[in-house]
Amino acid sequence: MERKPSAVLMVALILWMFGVAGTVILPLFDQEINSATASGELRNYPEDSAEAKGREIYIQNGCQTCHTQFVRALPADTNQNLGPVSQGGDYKYDLPHLLGSNRTGPDLMWVGLKYNEDWHRQHLIDPQSTSPGSIMPSFDYLTNKELDDLVAYLMSLKPTEERLAEYKKEREEQNSMNDK
Amino acid sequence: MFTDEKWSSSKNWFIAAVIWIIIGMSMGLLTAAKQIWPDLLNNRWTTYGHIRSAHVMLVIYAWLSMAYVGSMFYMIPKLAKTKIYSEKLGNFSLVFYNIVILEGFFALLDGQTSVIEYGEFPLWVDVQLLIAIVIVAYNLFKTVGQRTEKMLYVSLWYFLGSLLWLPLTWIVGNFPAQWIPSGVQQGLMGWFLGHNAIGLWMTTVGVGQIYYLLPKLTGRPLYSHQLSMIGFWAIATFYVWNGPHHLMNGPIPSWISKAGVIPSIVLLIPVWAVLANFWGTMKGSWAQTRTNVPLRFTMAGTIFYLFACLQGPLQALPSVSSVIKFTHWTVGHAHMGPFGAFSFTSFAAIYYILPKIVGREMFSKKAMEAHFWFSTVGFLVFAFSLWIAGVVQGFAWIEGVPFLQTVLMMEPYVQGRAIGGTMMYVAQFFLAWNMYKTIKVAKQEKKQQALHQAVTA
Ligand code: HEC
Repeated sequence: MERKPSAVLMVALILWMFGVAGTVILPLFDQEINSATASGELRNYPEDSAEAKGREIYIQNGCQTCHTQFVRALPADTNQNLGPVSQGGDYKYDLPHLLGSNRTGPDLMWVGLKYNEDWHRQHLIDPQSTSPGSIMPSFDYLTNKELDDLVAYLMSLKPTEERLAEYKKEREEQNSMNDK
Repeated sequence: MFTDEKWSSSKNWFIAAVIWIIIGMSMGLLTAAKQIWPDLLNNRWTTYGHIRSAHVMLVIYAWLSMAYVGSMFYMIPKLAKTKIYSEKLGNFSLVFYNIVILEGFFALLDGQTSVIEYGEFPLWVDVQLLIAIVIVAYNLFKTVGQRTEKMLYVSLWYFLGSLLWLPLTWIVGNFPAQWIPSGVQQGLMGWFLGHNAIGLWMTTVGVGQIYYLLPKLTGRPLYSHQLSMIGFWAIATFYVWNGPHHLMNGPIPSWISKAGVIPSIVLLIPVWAVLANFWGTMKGSWAQTRTNVPLRFTMAGTIFYLFACLQGPLQALPSVSSVIKFTHWTVGHAHMGPFGAFSFTSFAAIYYILPKIVGREMFSKKAMEAHFWFSTVGFLVFAFSLWIAGVVQGFAWIEGVPFLQTVLMMEPYVQGRAIGGTMMYVAQFFLAWNMYKTIKVAKQEKKQQALHQAVTA
């Protein structure tokens, strides 16, 4: 092999394909990530809806570079009260995905539960007015229409009532366990 | 239209690379500054998200990748004892590649992004970049094909593998979203690229560079051919499985998580094999790093590579990940390979190769020293700020400190990062100026020589 570049390339290709098979092809057959949860269905926005357009604006303005949408079953997330742990099926229609990798700002997976429209609008136009000392940039350059759509999208980021109730119950149980 | 001059493509790729390191790092510094002054240059084009994405894409695919191609256009023919298959095609691919990068840059500023990290250019740019990469790979494969040296030195293995893996990996990561059945599936495909752009391109070409440079710079033979083979095949086998650890503790089935975490830890084997080989080769030559700046850059690069590879598997442990994931730590870690390890080896490659091409040593030794010290000290300030920040931030989240308060806590570290980053940035002007001077003076000297010869003849 030390004299045959084609042999090196062949083996290199085969090893690469093993990796693709294991980490890219096999998951295609996994039910958990490929069928939508009820909360995932809520993110199947009709084309041209305000939410769908808002999602585009979210992407175009790079919100995903500072915000994840990705709640883990870990103290870092539960103690920040981020809401129900996210499941693969929540992202069935989330394309391109907005999982993110960096929390310069908080996770937004279920941020629709936290505030009302007015707060979001005010915060987007002047983040420091609602959150003194915030390093989120102002998005006052967006048009009124764009802001409306973006806020509609943010407000839509919620779990179903059942999922939320379940989550609240679990938390209460945990809290009472901790108290004892 | 495109020149056929010997080594011209190598030289021209290097020149373009260094122009892009200045542009790419200015985007990085602006990102850092925006975390201090959020409304600095904030508008539809240069809002934070656009600048951050442009920074990542430019330093990886413009600066580092062009420096790599420049190195390979010199090292591959040298190792194969032949000339480049086509210098003309090499120069053409350079112009094409740069046009595509410019398109990608403007697309990102325009808010067109495919979101996939390390693959953020939109699809219409991705396709063109793929073509450009394939043209480069074709030229270099053909060069190996016409070799007169039958034995393939280990650097060639790494270069061949990387030139095959990059385009394939690029396709997986940039696969059009509408053809992918779910968001998490796309996440896995995206991180396949995100991790392997690092593992099967950046690392492997970089390691190939070091294998080339060390024996040349020290004048000693490679410590062990055997060990270099073990290292190569172990990297090729295990790196490619690492993507899923980026979604660890997240919405992926646990079996995928394990398929990603275990190889991340096994990777310590090739890293050890590679580094043992480098440092074995260095035995008795360490004193030379006092005066030999390219060698010093190479060795500093290997040390940063070691740190990066110790951090990597550590971070892949679920318990460690649960503290530092999503924090500033990750940003610090993400700079270790691309800047600390492989930008350093690329600097060494430029300082070694450019004088051979233009036929004169680097114009200023002092500028090389300044380049080294500003880069190294700047990077250490930058990286330690981010690592400390990440740990503090991670534990603050766990303690349930309100998020906004954690943002305020980060202020001094974010400032430290910007100060370190400024030094890293300033360093590159020493490189650019030195390169410019070297090429210019070499040209003048050649002209004078020709004149002199004409007179004496
Ligand atoms: C430079 C990074 C950055 C960018 C880019 C950014 N944000 Fe933020 N965001 C933050 C920070 C920091 C906070 C926390 C302080 C605050 O509330 O402003 C935050 C908070 C938020 C919150 C409140 C979350 C909560 O749980 O309290 C929302 C909603 C939000 N951002 C939406 C957005 C949207 C939408 C965009 C894109 C148009 C965006 N952000 C872009 C940094 C960023």
